[in-house]
Amino acid sequence: MAEAKLPELDYDKLEIGEELGTYEYLLTEEILESFRASVEDPDAVFPTIGVKHDATALAMCYQDNIGGVNAGNEMEFHNPPIPGKKITVTGRVHDKYLRRDKPYLVIEATAIDEDGRLLEKMRTYQMKKPDEVGKKWQAQS
Amino acid sequence: MASAELNNTTIPSVTKSITQVKINQFESCGILERENIHNSPELAQRRLGTTYTLASGRMSVAFASESLRKFFGADVFNHTGTVNLKFLRPVKEGDTITVGGSVNSRQEVENGTMVIVDLYCENQNGDKTAIGQGTAIVS
Repeated sequence: MAEAKLPELDYDKLEIGEELGTYEYLLTEEILESFRASVEDPDAVFPTIGVKHDATALAMCYQDNIGGVNAGNEMEFHNPPIPGKKITVTGRVHDKYLRRDKPYLVIEATAIDEDGRLLEKMRTYQMKKPDEVGKKWQAQS
Repeated sequence: MASAELNNTTIPSVTKSITQVKINQFESCGILERENIHNSPELAQRRLGTTYTLASGRMSVAFASESLRKFFGADVFNHTGTVNLKFLRPVKEGDTITVGGSVNSRQEVENGTMVIVDLYCENQNGDKTAIGQGTAIVS
């Protein structure tokens, strides 16, 4: 059976407060070890930073053919996730606005584990005109 | 390890070398297998107009978290910590990113003293790639 196609992300139609649904996944030792190796921190305990809970929630709801660039992150750490336990993530559109003629989308997510432990809350500020990056920075590289 | 007494104290600095291998490894933590501007040069070219991929800003969040965890101690930071970063400049393969910061202020909160740290990330040229704050609550 063919997978249902996701609706294309239309920035103008996104609503502040729009729910991005809930999903769950199993945090594995593999994810933890990949994360630790990628950031060279053997004591890191929040591999969920790499899972990108809020962006994943958005990607599960919409096909984003324009993309964006991460302009900022806010994270709260409450309890380290435990490998082998399922994590449930709930996402939401927190805000959207124009700044210096560039559109921004703010998404957020909350993660809890299968025992009801609050793990983390995160918020990401996406600049939704990614070609501005090349215009500003490519020549300086 | 921090206590509520320390003002203007600098936090332990961490320095990380950015390679495409590490960028790809970071992206492999995701639960959706998909190309993006971090792991696909072609997509980065198409969407950003760059000849290089970008390291995810969340890698810098992880670096800052490590620095703050070392400052506050794991027990404090892993249960009360926050990181808030604004990204100023792309980070790409070949860059070396250093995280630093110092205590800005303290404020009394319900369950202790919130210590507020001014944070920065900078590359090998001394250019700031991110600025922000981190916090944790000490008793």
